[in-house]
Amino acid sequence: MEKLQFDNLQETLYKEVMDNGLHVYVLPKPGFQKMYATFATKYGSVDNHFRVEGQEEISVPDGIAHFLEHKMFEEPEGDIFATFASNGASANAFTSFDQTVYLFSATENIEKNLETLVNFVQHPYFTDQNVEKEKGIIGQEINMYLDNADWRVYFGLIEAMYKIHPVHIDIAGTVESISTITKETLYTCYNAFYHPSNMLLFVVGGVKPEEIFELVRSNQAAKDYKPQGDIKRLFDPEKEEVAEKRRIAKLAVSMPKCLFGFKEKHVGATGKELLRRDLTSKLMLDLLFGSSTELYQKLYDEDLISDGFSHEYNSSPQYAFSAVGGDTPDPDKLLARVQEEVDKILKNGFKEEDFERARKKKIGGYLRMLNSPENIAHEFTRYQFRDSDFFSVVQVYESITLKEVNDRLQEHTDWNQLAVSIVVNP
Amino acid sequence: MNKTAFQHGNTGRMRIHVLPTKRFKTFAVSLYTGIPLAEDTVTATALTPFVLRRGTESYPETRQFREQLEQMYGAGFGFDVYKRGNYQMVQFRMDTINDSFVKNEGSLLEDSFAFLGEVVTRPALENGYFRSSYVQAEKENVRKKLEAIVNDKIRYASERCIEEMCRNEPYRLHPLGQRKDLEGITPESLYKAYRHWLDTASMDLYVVGDTTLEEVEQLVDKYFAFGSDSKECAYKQEVSTRKADEVRTVVEKMEVSQGKLNLGLRTSITYADEQYAAVLMYNGILGGYPHSKLFMNVREKESLAYYASSRYDGHKGIGTIQSGIEIQNYEKALEIIKKQLEEMRAGNITDLEMSQTKAMIRNLLLEIDDSAFEMIAYDFNRQFSGKDRPRAELLQQVEAIQIEDVKAAAATFELDTIYFLKGQKEE
Repeated sequence: MEKLQFDNLQETLYKEVMDNGLHVYVLPKPGFQKMYATFATKYGSVDNHFRVEGQEEISVPDGIAHFLEHKMFEEPEGDIFATFASNGASANAFTSFDQTVYLFSATENIEKNLETLVNFVQHPYFTDQNVEKEKGIIGQEINMYLDNADWRVYFGLIEAMYKIHPVHIDIAGTVESISTITKETLYTCYNAFYHPSNMLLFVVGGVKPEEIFELVRSNQAAKDYKPQGDIKRLFDPEKEEVAEKRRIAKLAVSMPKCLFGFKEKHVGATGKELLRRDLTSKLMLDLLFGSSTELYQKLYDEDLISDGFSHEYNSSPQYAFSAVGGDTPDPDKLLARVQEEVDKILKNGFKEEDFERARKKKIGGYLRMLNSPENIAHEFTRYQFRDSDFFSVVQVYESITLKEVNDRLQEHTDWNQLAVSIVVNP
Repeated sequence: MNKTAFQHGNTGRMRIHVLPTKRFKTFAVSLYTGIPLAEDTVTATALTPFVLRRGTESYPETRQFREQLEQMYGAGFGFDVYKRGNYQMVQFRMDTINDSFVKNEGSLLEDSFAFLGEVVTRPALENGYFRSSYVQAEKENVRKKLEAIVNDKIRYASERCIEEMCRNEPYRLHPLGQRKDLEGITPESLYKAYRHWLDTASMDLYVVGDTTLEEVEQLVDKYFAFGSDSKECAYKQEVSTRKADEVRTVVEKMEVSQGKLNLGLRTSITYADEQYAAVLMYNGILGGYPHSKLFMNVREKESLAYYASSRYDGHKGIGTIQSGIEIQNYEKALEIIKKQLEEMRAGNITDLEMSQTKAMIRNLLLEIDDSAFEMIAYDFNRQFSGKDRPRAELLQQVEAIQIEDVKAAAATFELDTIYFLKGQKEE
């Protein structure tokens, strides 16, 4: 058991790697009633083409990681939600581009619930019948998202940016793509990505680290995992330029939704470098589009944006882009005004005082997030899968310079890399 | 459960509730304000906080206002406008870092009170009224928000169901008000409405963090400028839960891929009632969780939906059911949902359903301790309803519930409205 102390955050993290390769982390929160645990695999919607060392290369249907997430909850004796409910635990799961996370929170029966979590995720049970049944449920989930204008405008932007990289494929797939999923393809994906060496268990809350490690140690020792070779995730080369300048979707909305962003030309950074670039980009976007900026206030006064206008930066070793926007009565006018104003800022860069204030805001926001066991578990895991250290965020923010942010601004806001997604009334 | 409790005080105008604790990294501050929900005040009350967040005496420009929050290490500031029982609530929230985590001179708690006190009691003015440019812009903003409700079909269907069900009472009103009222609102009329609200609304101020009741009372005295004759105002609960009318079906068409089926039910049992715990069990068994009857039957057995759940609003005495289904499956889904309601009335409930639901409610109540704002929300139920029911007591009551009690609770629920949002095309 390794102990990592973060004095500036008043947090202590404990770590241990099991013999089968499973990484386990425990963050005790003294005084907390609940325990929150996530069991995550580094496997998401983008991993649709891969080769496990010593095995054949394989391509699988779109949406299969998410389908697998749904099916894991079924065990021969029934739905695993019932087991969690009997022990007072609230369980759930989600699938993103590059991870699948199973989770629960509970205030009692800590051991039983943790074992339930680890055991059900390590025990696949797929039958022809239960796979078919799930297609109806996921079909309704896909339909629900088809009616969701925010989701449509967001995915429209990624589709406009990426032609090849599977990040542009909807996480749940399509009704057609999931129709080809069988229990055999599910087992293939399960066996490739649910090996303990590709997974991370994070436990946070009112718990004693040694007790958790002891439980996981003996649980894992009783299971017979053979060592597995590396997983090669295969991605065909993505072009530098955006796939389409603009995508338009039609949906019943009260006002058009417009999201725009820049596709990064250069990707490939990992670990510390990736984290620094990620945080620098977020600072830069906040200085450009944040609600206290001159640009934001001008656009608001001109009635081109409203409260929902927001910005985000999404980055991984293979793709990275910004997404900015919200509801607007006139997408073209909004885009023209943004370009005009951003070009002015590009000439002079940001001011020192604005930069210092934005930095304070980011550090405060991060510290506030540490009140939430859920956020800590999710963010830590996400960072870890990118070889980045979640607990170094404050230090990185403190070390970023104005020059770096200004350089990032020049590099990122390249109008040739701009893509736009719009949702309008039919 | 932690043996911590709110300390209660009073400054004359506001009730003050403070929970001193070192468990969190922040000071959580929440101001609840409520006035009776009424057609002639609903829109002005809803618009008020939008104008208040544009500027104060010290930070009259919106950018200055937001920059000040950033200076306070990105203090969280926000507000919600919503309905609770027959009241329209405006709730302000702040979440500020405890100074010990940052290299800050001064006190961020004091800064927060200075800020919130100004927002609520010293807005930016021109000619004695609100700034006209702010009023104009925020009228537009609220209008857009009202129009945007339709964008989220799940929420839209849920609000439409309530609106239809309560069409003969103030509860039909949307908490953000009515579009038709917006045009007539002027900086002067809004300012007068604001002053009235400031003088008459019920107010509860909560703080959770490393502080004391005395410190908070001093900060309130120093930074909240209420009129000298304004007084504390308690919530009044009239027991007026309505009986369900004959079941009414409302069908609406829109460009959608998925149909939304919502049901509205009435019950005579509210938060202050002795049977409240039994209704929590009723709702949990029916549709509160993934092990509940609705999820198991509509989703897991029949694959008809991705979501199928129920909710209970104990301050209004309303139960709702919501589900997203294939449009042509309307009859089938409705039949299965009604069947679950019948099962509840007949008391066809297993011991396992009882024990699982008890365990889930227990977990929910215990978890409240881990979130400052959740603790605040639970305590506010007491201020609002007048019923003091500590969590430990509610836990005991839930543990003691028998199937017969749930059956008795089920007998109080009557189906009132069936609302279905479907596609434009005829099936």
